[in-house]
Amino acid sequence: MILYDYILSPSCYRVRLMAALLGAEMTSRPVDFHPGREHLSPEMLALNPAGTIPVLTDGSLTLRDSTAMLSYLAAGHDPEWLGEDTPAMRATVAQWLAFSQRLTSSAGAARAHDMLHGPGDIDVLRRAATLALRELEAAISAQRRRGMIFLAGPRPTIADIACFPHVALAPDGGLPLDPYPSIRLWMREIRALDGFIEMPGIHRLHELKPEPGPMPDIRQTRTTRDPKQNA
Amino acid sequence: MQTDWTPVALSHDIPVASAAPGRIGDTALAIWRSASGRIAAWSDRCPHRGMRLSHGYVRGERLSCIYHGWSYGEDGGCKRIPAHPDLTPPESIRVPVFACREASGVVWVAEGQPAGAPPDLAGFRGLRSLHIAAATGAIAEVFGGDGPVLRVKLGPVAVIALVQAFGDETMLHLMAPESCDLATLDALSDAAEALRRNIEAEATA
Amino acid sequence: MSVGAMKDQWYPVGLISGVTEEGRDSLLLGEPIRIFLDGGTPAVTGEGERPLPVELRYGHVWTCPGTPTRPLFDIPEADQLGRRLVDVGVCRVRCSPLRAVENFLDIAHFPFVHTDILGSEPHTEVTRYEVGIREDVDEVWATKVQFFQPQAAKSAEGGITTDYMYRVCAPTCSVLYKTSPPMPGEWDVIALFVQPLTETLCDVWPWMALYDDDASMTDLIHFQQLIFVQDRSVLENQLPALLPLDPGMEIPTRADLTSVAYRRWLKRNGFTYGAQLVAA
Repeated sequence: MILYDYILSPSCYRVRLMAALLGAEMTSRPVDFHPGREHLSPEMLALNPAGTIPVLTDGSLTLRDSTAMLSYLAAGHDPEWLGEDTPAMRATVAQWLAFSQRLTSSAGAARAHDMLHGPGDIDVLRRAATLALRELEAAISAQRRRGMIFLAGPRPTIADIACFPHVALAPDGGLPLDPYPSIRLWMREIRALDGFIEMPGIHRLHELKPEPGPMPDIRQTRTTRDPKQNA
Repeated sequence: MQTDWTPVALSHDIPVASAAPGRIGDTALAIWRSASGRIAAWSDRCPHRGMRLSHGYVRGERLSCIYHGWSYGEDGGCKRIPAHPDLTPPESIRVPVFACREASGVVWVAEGQPAGAPPDLAGFRGLRSLHIAAATGAIAEVFGGDGPVLRVKLGPVAVIALVQAFGDETMLHLMAPESCDLATLDALSDAAEALRRNIEAEATA
Repeated sequence: MSVGAMKDQWYPVGLISGVTEEGRDSLLLGEPIRIFLDGGTPAVTGEGERPLPVELRYGHVWTCPGTPTRPLFDIPEADQLGRRLVDVGVCRVRCSPLRAVENFLDIAHFPFVHTDILGSEPHTEVTRYEVGIREDVDEVWATKVQFFQPQAAKSAEGGITTDYMYRVCAPTCSVLYKTSPPMPGEWDVIALFVQPLTETLCDVWPWMALYDDDASMTDLIHFQQLIFVQDRSVLENQLPALLPLDPGMEIPTRADLTSVAYRRWLKRNGFTYGAQLVAA
């Protein structure tokens, strides 16, 4: 399985995160999205005429939509993540997957604008993103009233993984998350999942590690600039 | 109702070993709860490099800055500087600490030495905090009241609206009667969303 | 805010490879500028289409909104054979350009912001190093800087102590020299070129000259983007946004000697665009 990947892309991170949580093996093939615009190269356009990343290939299968990749990974490794317990849960997952595209086109575009000179009317993008974040906040607060925190039920599903990156990175696009207490708690639960990995802009939960004691002696591992020791 | 205390958050939004941003007046706050459950409100600024402490992490009874890991104890004093593990930080490195109390599921903060205890809101519990892109005056107008604690009707239900100035905007902490069932709470949450839409539409009209 | 002495300094305004015929609008020290190809050569104009001086070096287009008081600083390693020159691209940050440089000079944050890459707990100690202003070139230099790095290179098993040297060669430009894992005895060069758009907004253009024949160019670009974007969320959350030059405003320790020297040097030279002189 090969992921055509970009370290700063929240949509690529969706797939990396899902694979990490599932323990799925995947080879990352970095694409020089910025500044090289490699996603628009003839080779990449042959793989995905839409010119977007990520692209996931597995044998003869080529996937060009990141939420489809989440479904594929989950179905292959742990179908619990698909959230198909009941018709309602299944539909709820589908709804959040669609919602995650709204996040991509609002919060994601605001971030690309503010960080990488991306196009768009920043006020319009932020207004659309704020509406989406408020919807998410209301939905998670409703889940919390039921003793839950994840979007589609009592456990995390691909719906949570689809929405998480663009929400967590919203501040990059000038959308502070200060006004959203339920979103903050939901993100914390996702960051605390076994196997969670970060991307730039999302910090490690340092609270999961104990405060270190006195400094260990590291002199043994010290290398001078002597090639023999470095080898 | 008037009080020296400002409602800054609902208790259930700040679980143990976590930090959250807040504000009192023009001052940014780091509101955090230790592993043992102690709540505190500090100036949201690490004295070292000015990084917001609300982005930090809680280990045990200390809050640490995400930037360089400087950790601060209960009294706001710096207890550890990881870059100098053998150094006992001088007493002078300290984060300003605000008076902070929890009552009726609300976190209250005050500047200086407040007179009396925070308001008693017995019989109510925190529902949601909502950010409203309009000044507090616009909210007071809708509810027809003044001060940070308003006893008002939201639909058919008597609720308490805690109105907090948030810069030029507002944070509304909504309290529902303890007796409300889940369906009523959901309806109140929806009503609060509708209220926000109306207030913001008025404010931008 | 007066732009002061910073008006006569050199600034990066884009990748040479990214300049187009139709051009691009940008800002420099709060003034609108335009970067475009003029007969195939990059050109920059200020307000009223006033032509600005242009230098093409280190992969970037450089300009000066005033009268340059000295030539663009030299990075001799740029011309050394065997080094790969890496244009990392742009990252815009809502922070003071001076805060962006100061963060680049800092190592103590590695375990917390670049966790398991450039540093990791419990190896957080910053040992004594040397800092000074080299009067002949009027640059801040920090030498004998060492820090424990958990994974120095793809091939490196376990951590090693890595050596660093830092150099501030212009108010918004800094170069760091770092032990080169494949070429012990040589230094890799990693530069941070900052374009001050306003006092609280900047475009950061990292650039590198590395000894590394194995990694792909894309890997090298992505590694540096990863590191810088990890810093970005810190930079956007420092209060105040301007860099305080008032010594009472923030508390430095021995680990911050480079930053202390940088702030002093800024003050001495009147480089205060993006700085706060007196506590608000």
